[in-house]
Amino acid sequence: MILARVDGVIVSTVCHPSMTGCRTIICQPVDESGRAEGAPVLALDPLSAGQHQRVLISTDGSAPRAYVRDPKSPLRNMILAIVDEPEKETA
Amino acid sequence: MRLGHVIGRVTLSKQDPAFRGARFLLVQPFASAQFAGAPMTPLAPGSSLVIYDNLGAGAGHIVGFTEGAEASVPFDQPTPVDAYNAAIIDELFYNPPSR
Repeated sequence: MILARVDGVIVSTVCHPSMTGCRTIICQPVDESGRAEGAPVLALDPLSAGQHQRVLISTDGSAPRAYVRDPKSPLRNMILAIVDEPEKETA
Repeated sequence: MRLGHVIGRVTLSKQDPAFRGARFLLVQPFASAQFAGAPMTPLAPGSSLVIYDNLGAGAGHIVGFTEGAEASVPFDQPTPVDAYNAAIIDELFYNPPSR
């Protein structure tokens, strides 16, 4: 599972049948202080996360396969939770 | 899933029967700059890869592809694929925070 920030959304007409009707968003993985880490990724968004909200992404395919009810779905990333406030231990 | 620009096609003579009717595309994965609208050339840093495609994407398209074990999940029998084109992107709205 990775921490990420919602940075955008995509529109696709020609896609795998399992993705039809599912909101797919662009997520920027971030570190514990909110700094961007690496290139953005796509993730299925069943929770309708808002722009720039911090989210928790599962990178295992079993969660989206269960959500879209298609055992042959190639999807991999899915939003599991919206983060209220990440807790950070101060030294 | 990641996004990438289709920059070419790979043609095969002998292939696994599971690949019939599909094509392989050469894809340059997006870096952060391409999400923000940077042009396709010069190519984004990072190596290009070959993805399996049965949706009909062509050179110049933006595609969303899955990598790893999930790439071979859509096939009926165990198939050696590790990047699968899941979506052809029509529009992309990218708006990172400015600070």
